[in-house]
Amino acid sequence: MKKARLSRRSFLKGAMATAVTGPWVLRFRGVAEAGPLEDRIIAAAKKAGPADLNGMIWSLYYRNMKRLSDEFKEKAGVGVKDIQDLSIFVIPQRAMAEAVSRSPKIDFFHIDSNMIPSLASAGLIEPLDGYMAEVGYKLEMLANFPSFMKYKGKTYGIPTDGNVHIQYVRKDLAENPEEQKKFSDKYGKPLAFPKTWEDSLQIAEHFHRPDKNLLGYAGLRNRANGVTWWYMNFYSAGGFPFNDDLEPTINTPAGEYAMDIYLRHKKVSHPEAPNWGTPQMIPQFTQGNAATGQYWDGTARQIESDPKSKVKGKFLYGIVPGSTFSGKLVHRSISSPLAAVLVNRYSPRKRQAALMTLYWGTLSNSIEIVTHPTWVFHDPWHAGHMTHPKVIERYSAPAMDAIAKSMQITTPPIYLTGHIEFQDVLGKHIAEAYIGQITAKQALTQTEAAWRKLIAQIGKARLKEDLVSYKAAMPTVDLPS
Amino acid sequence: MTASATETAAGTGAAPARGSRSRGIRIFKWTLLTPLFSLFFFLMPVFLLQLYFSLHSWTIYLSSWWDADYAGFDLFREVLTESRFYWAFARSFLFAGLSTVGCFIIGFGLALLMYRPFRGHSVFYVLFILPMLTVPIVISYTADMLLFRSGPINDIMSFLAGTEIRFTWLANPNFAIFTIIMLEIWNWTPFAFIIMLAGLSSLPAEPVEAARILGASRLRIFWEIQIPLLRPVIFLALILRFLEAMAEFPKTWGLLQGGPGTSTETIPVYLYIVTWRAFNVSKGAAASYLVMLLMIVIILSAIYVLRREKKALDALYEKPAGGGEA
Repeated sequence: MKKARLSRRSFLKGAMATAVTGPWVLRFRGVAEAGPLEDRIIAAAKKAGPADLNGMIWSLYYRNMKRLSDEFKEKAGVGVKDIQDLSIFVIPQRAMAEAVSRSPKIDFFHIDSNMIPSLASAGLIEPLDGYMAEVGYKLEMLANFPSFMKYKGKTYGIPTDGNVHIQYVRKDLAENPEEQKKFSDKYGKPLAFPKTWEDSLQIAEHFHRPDKNLLGYAGLRNRANGVTWWYMNFYSAGGFPFNDDLEPTINTPAGEYAMDIYLRHKKVSHPEAPNWGTPQMIPQFTQGNAATGQYWDGTARQIESDPKSKVKGKFLYGIVPGSTFSGKLVHRSISSPLAAVLVNRYSPRKRQAALMTLYWGTLSNSIEIVTHPTWVFHDPWHAGHMTHPKVIERYSAPAMDAIAKSMQITTPPIYLTGHIEFQDVLGKHIAEAYIGQITAKQALTQTEAAWRKLIAQIGKARLKEDLVSYKAAMPTVDLPS
Repeated sequence: MTASATETAAGTGAAPARGSRSRGIRIFKWTLLTPLFSLFFFLMPVFLLQLYFSLHSWTIYLSSWWDADYAGFDLFREVLTESRFYWAFARSFLFAGLSTVGCFIIGFGLALLMYRPFRGHSVFYVLFILPMLTVPIVISYTADMLLFRSGPINDIMSFLAGTEIRFTWLANPNFAIFTIIMLEIWNWTPFAFIIMLAGLSSLPAEPVEAARILGASRLRIFWEIQIPLLRPVIFLALILRFLEAMAEFPKTWGLLQGGPGTSTETIPVYLYIVTWRAFNVSKGAAASYLVMLLMIVIILSAIYVLRREKKALDALYEKPAGGGEA
C-alpha cells in the first residue's frame, strides 16, 4: 500500500489557494469580520465593560433612539441611563460650559455638527476614527457629506438627522392651467419649477394671496434661523465668507446680492415671519397655507405622512433654486443644524459612549430611527436611506429624490472654530436689516467689522487651519446629477 | 462694714456683670458678623474671578483661563464705546420703568379694593396672586400661543370691537417690547398688590377715623392721609420691582430672544448673548461689572430715598404729639 504523503509543494500550493480564496469564502459567509456590523459593535462594547451613560439630548430626538439604547444595554451592557433634556438650539451653550469645566459627567452630546470645530478646539470631543476602525464602521453619506463630521482630518460625529433644505412648490397650484396662463401672461414665461432665486420669487409673488390665507413664500426670517436661508443665497452667488488669508469677504457683490434676494422675500412672506420659528412655519406647509418655500426635508415627511396633513401628494419637491450671479448656474442647499452624536473626551466611559453612538448609526438602526412612526426631526442622512423602501414610503419618492440630489449640493454654515459666534453676529445684522433697523449695506459692513474682531479674538492662525476643513465640506458640483 | 469694704463688695459685684455684658455684646456682634463674613468670602472668589476675566482677554478656545493675556481696561472701553450696550440699557430702563409703574398702579388699585375684608375676599386674594406663582418661562410660551396674529387674543379683541383686529404683538419691532412689558405687568402685579395690601392694612386707624369725623371726603382722606403715610411702602414696592424688572430675562428670551432684530435686546439678554452665544466670557465679565456698578448706584439712591421717607414719616408721627403738648 502506498503511503499518502503530503509533499512540500502540495502543502504550499494548498496554503496559497486557501490564502487567496479563504477570505472570499469567509466574507461570503459573513464570518471574516465576525458577523454583521451591529454584532461587532456589541462584541466591542462587551469587551469595554458595562456602563450607564449620561447624554445631553433633546427628548424629542431621543424618543426614537431609546429602544435601540435599551437593546444595546441588554445585548452589550451599555445603555443610556439619564439624559439632560435640552433643545438642540440650547445644547451648544451647555456643551461649551462642559468644555470650560472639563466635566466628565456627560458622556455624549446630541448637537449641531457645525459645532465640531469649536468643541474640538475647546478640547471637549473625542475623535471616533479609532472606534470606527475597530468595528469596521464606515460613514456612508452621499457626496462629501461625511466631511460635515470631520475636522482636521478626524471624524468627530455620527449623524442622526441629515436636515437638508429642499424646495417646495404646491403642485396643485403650479399645474393649474388657469394659474399657468395668468403667470405666463404676467411674466412672459411658463410657470415651471424654479431654477433660480428670481424664478422662485416670481412664483411666490404670483401666489401670494394673504386675503385668501395663502402665503407666496414660507421660510424662516427670525433672528435665530433666518441666517440659514441667507447662506443659500450667498453661496449660490459664488460667495464664501472668508478668503485664504481669513479676511471677511461678506461685504462683496455676492453678499449684496444675497441680502437683496433675502430681503425681497419680505413682500411675499407672513407679516409675523420676523418672529416665527418652525412651530409656526411647518403648519403653514401642512395646512395648505404655503405655496412655495425652501425648508428642511422633514417637512416633506410631515406633508406626506402626517394624518393631519391637508396637502398629501400636493407638493412638488426639488433642489433649492440657484443663482447665475457668478456667471454660471450654481445651486447651494444647506444642512444646519445637522444633528449628530459627539462623545465627551473627558468621560471615563467614552469608549462605551462611542460604541453606543456607532450602534445608533448603523444602516439598519438608523433606518429604524428615521422611519419611526412618530416623526421627531430625524431625517435621512445615510446613503442607504436614499433608496430604502421604508424611508421612501415615509417621505415619498419625489421628496427622496430631491433629498438625495440636495445632498450633493449641500453646504455647512460657517464651519470654523467660533461657528456660533460668527453666525450669531451675522444673524443679528440680517434680522435687523429685515425689519428695517439698519440697511442691507450696513448689515454687511457691521458684520464684516464684527467678524474681524472675532478673528483677532479666536486667533487667525487657528482659523486658517480650520479653513481647510470648512472648504472640504463645500460641494464640488454646481448642479446635482 | 466699712465704706471701703462696701465699695469693694459693690465693685466685685459690678465687675463680673460688666464682663458678662461685654462678652454678651461680643458674642452678639460675632453672631451677626460671622454669616456676613462667610457670605463675603463665599462671594469674593466669584467677584475676583469675574474681575480677572474682565481684565484678561480669554476665549473658550484657550485651554486654560490662567493663560489669558492681560488686556487692562480694553474690554471695559470696548463695552463703553459700543452703542449696542447703551441701547440695551435704554431698553432695560424703558422696560423696568413702565412695567414697574404698571404693576404698581394695578396692584395698588387691587389692594384698595381688597384691604377691607368682605365675604369671599380670600378667593379673590388667591386669584390675584396666581400670576406671580406662574413660572415666567411658561408665561412666555403661553403668550407665544395666544398672541400670534390670528391667535385667540386678537380673536377676542375682534369680537369685542366688532371688527377684525389682526395686531402683530410679537413681530412688530416697534411694539414687541411693550408686549413684554404687558406680560411683566400681568406676572408681577401681585407683588405690588401684596406689598400695598400689607401697607394699607397696617395704617393706623385713628387719623382716618378723625378725618372722617371732621367731614373729610374719601378722596381727601386718600390723598392727604393714606398716601403720605404709605409713602415708604410705595417707594419700597417701586424700588424692589424696578430692580427685579431690570434683571428680567426668561420672558424676553423665551418669547423673542432679543428680536425682532434687536428690538427687545435688554441688558440681561445682551449679557447672555455676549457671554454664552458669542462665548466672549471676558467681555461679558466687563459688561457685568459695569452693570453691577450702575445697579449699585441705583440701589444706594434707593436706600437714600427710603431713609428720607422713613425720617419724614417719623417726623409726621412726632408732630401731632409735639403739637399737643404745645
